[in-house]
Amino acid sequence: MNTKINVKDYEPVVGKSYIEELRMLASRLSGKTVLNINSTLVGGGVAEILSRVVPLLNQLGVDVRWQIISGDPQFFKVTKRLHNALHGKAESISDDDFSLFLETTEQNLSQIDLSGDILFIHDPQPVALIAKKSDIGKKWIWRCHIDISHPDSRVWEFVKQFVVNYDAAVLSSPNFAQQLPIRQVFAPPSIDPLSDKSKELSAEAVNAALTKYGLDPDKPVILQVSRFDRLKDPLGVIKVFELVRKNFVCQLVLAGGTASDDPESEEVLHEVRERAGGNPDIHILDIAAGSDIDINALQRAATIIMQKSLREGFALTIAEALWKAKPVVASAVGGIPLQVRNRLTGLLCHSIEGAAYAVRQILANPDYGHWLGRNGKEHVRQHFLITREIKDYLLTFLTLDNKQDVIYL
Amino acid sequence: MAVIEWLRVNWLDIAVPVLVFLGVFFISLWLRRITYNALGRWLNEKKTEIGKIIISVTRGPFLHWLLILGAYIALRVSVLGLSWKILGGHILASIFIAYFGWILIRLSRESIRLYFDRAKASDRAIAIAINIVQATLIVVGILVLLELWGAPLTPVLIALAAALAVAIIVLHDVFPTLFSGLQLTQQKQIKVGDSISLESGEEGRIEEITWRNTQIKTLDGSTIIIPNTKLLQTTITNYGKQPKLAKQPFQFSTRLHLRELTGSSARNLSQLVSRLREVPEAVVYYHTHNFVEEYQFLTPQPTNDFALWVQDALGYDVLAERLASIDTFEFSTIEALRQMITGVIQDFLAQTPHEREAPFGNEFHFIKSISVVLPTSYVAHNLREFVGILRRISMRSLYFHIFEARLRLQRGTNDLSLWLDDSLGEKELAEQITRLDPYNYTMENLREIIIRLCEKKL
Repeated sequence: MNTKINVKDYEPVVGKSYIEELRMLASRLSGKTVLNINSTLVGGGVAEILSRVVPLLNQLGVDVRWQIISGDPQFFKVTKRLHNALHGKAESISDDDFSLFLETTEQNLSQIDLSGDILFIHDPQPVALIAKKSDIGKKWIWRCHIDISHPDSRVWEFVKQFVVNYDAAVLSSPNFAQQLPIRQVFAPPSIDPLSDKSKELSAEAVNAALTKYGLDPDKPVILQVSRFDRLKDPLGVIKVFELVRKNFVCQLVLAGGTASDDPESEEVLHEVRERAGGNPDIHILDIAAGSDIDINALQRAATIIMQKSLREGFALTIAEALWKAKPVVASAVGGIPLQVRNRLTGLLCHSIEGAAYAVRQILANPDYGHWLGRNGKEHVRQHFLITREIKDYLLTFLTLDNKQDVIYL
Repeated sequence: MAVIEWLRVNWLDIAVPVLVFLGVFFISLWLRRITYNALGRWLNEKKTEIGKIIISVTRGPFLHWLLILGAYIALRVSVLGLSWKILGGHILASIFIAYFGWILIRLSRESIRLYFDRAKASDRAIAIAINIVQATLIVVGILVLLELWGAPLTPVLIALAAALAVAIIVLHDVFPTLFSGLQLTQQKQIKVGDSISLESGEEGRIEEITWRNTQIKTLDGSTIIIPNTKLLQTTITNYGKQPKLAKQPFQFSTRLHLRELTGSSARNLSQLVSRLREVPEAVVYYHTHNFVEEYQFLTPQPTNDFALWVQDALGYDVLAERLASIDTFEFSTIEALRQMITGVIQDFLAQTPHEREAPFGNEFHFIKSISVVLPTSYVAHNLREFVGILRRISMRSLYFHIFEARLRLQRGTNDLSLWLDDSLGEKELAEQITRLDPYNYTMENLREIIIRLCEKKL
């Protein structure tokens, strides 16, 4: 758990009144215990967000605890397949797999201490713990961090039989909403402005990154940060760059990594390198996992940040780019339009030509780019920082028993 | 017999000094009477406490000092030898110095008590001040006496300088605090009950001024205690007395909102309009105010989510323009606003034979707004506090009292106007704020305009 986090450090970022309001909400949870349950303490987005949210909530005065479920490797293979199927990926899941999932849940139910007033269950792995609700009561919330907009129907029906028994579900995007008899709260994911990926960096650190990756400090940088995945359309980004490069001197940086659980990524990286050929203005950077400060520095060095994905979940890389006050050109897919309001906090596109046109607009009008970047940063400050996610959680906890539209606390 | 004989021969040597002494005695009585009568009359006109202290402390000793003077003159005119005269003169001068010093000590003690009591100084502070003055006077008196008797002063002065240096180190923070307290109370630039704002941005009402600190009740209800030394170094704006007190104080609230997904969505206009008719008012409220809330810091041109969606997802520019131009401020109920929106879409549908479908993934998702309202620590009792708090509250608080109160809570107008009219009787000001169309301003601009209107009344 991250013990260096201090809630007061967020005051200069979001304002004293915001933190004060969080304290006011937290004070109303006095005497209540919130127990988070997920599948791992380290690694993965959920563990990362919990490692920050839990200490911050504790500092605000809420008694928040965190436990994990256990299981053998076979169980986690099954949950990985369930996860992929909920994302819409075709997976073969047998009845034995479902049985194993339920058996492991039974074992966890006998091992885990479920003491707490509110049980906050994250993602599908521990979703079936709700079976205990009929014995112990309490309030149960299911936090779904994944994209369930187009789930495999068989797997969703399996998961749904548990979800309907919760008091509320918390989803990351309106697209993920389902027909459920329970309350569905919309709480988009967030970035932590004080994390290595988003904190302020000195000009020296940014220049050092440019030197490290062999970039020309005098040429505008067009950057896309993403895994080497076809859905991120890296080849499309190269085409955009080639169209722009006809009229503007600039360089393209495709920075990302290859995922060990994605055998395609090596292949995509190879294709991208081949497509880039010997163009000295195209830099393909295979960045090792955990190089958050390098990514931060590259984003801060960029003139324009792109996210020309063909399909997206929420795409928090957009929020990271906007937080650095960079003009963003991105496809209008997934959660991107929630973050990029066209011509206000960035430019949305639907094609390679449209993206090239947007990039040219910004390169030709730097002031316009700065204006979009400033707006984007404010937008993230208001809606996509960790403090907002904490606010949403506190409000969800506090309004579980209240069905009214206007609630006075 | 020898004594009588001696007196017969030398009676004149005795009589002259005695007569001189008696003469001075009677002149002293007369001088004291006219001096103190005149002083008493003057002090009666001025009515100063310190004058009374001076009279009561010095009236008796004044006569004694003149008698010592008489004795000294008598000694000088006597026939005693020079060495006796010098010795007698030194003794009389020493008595005078000791006596005068003692009276000065009494006088300073009474004066310090008087002034420090006014400054509400603690007993400890009074004792420190008295001891300092007393010690100083005693030291000065001893030095004068030593000088008089011709004793060597250098070692004494060195010892004194060392003692003084130690005293300064030990009491280095006492003097500035002491004098700052006196300065604040004597200059009367600020007094209890005044509204002030400090250079640091703190604003509030003075509750107490002591010799050491000044206590201020700030607008958020907390109390700050500022050392007088610091207060005198900062720029203070004193607004003077509190303006008219409101019948009821204004409790500022803040509003945080939670978005609830309904699971309902639309891919074309027909679905949009039919579902819009069925959804709860909280959904209509969300989609007509989401843009105001999300982008109020950027643009004073809010629109509604319906207009944005029909333009971005369906490409109906004309309908988008008609929906965007619906003036939310004209409606006093959400239901009336819903009727207007569905009416505009229905009219458009009637002239549109072939409907367009939103691209996959670009459906309109109906979202419900749940408002959670909490009281803040800010409470305004008068117009000045009201303005000060308006400068400080969060935009979420302002949003609640302006937008949510009028339309969602159906209070007819915004909360600010209601309070200004009902509790302060500021009808004209209330109407000016009511007439403002909040949808045409960014929240910060709105805040500035309302503050300017209120300040004109102060």
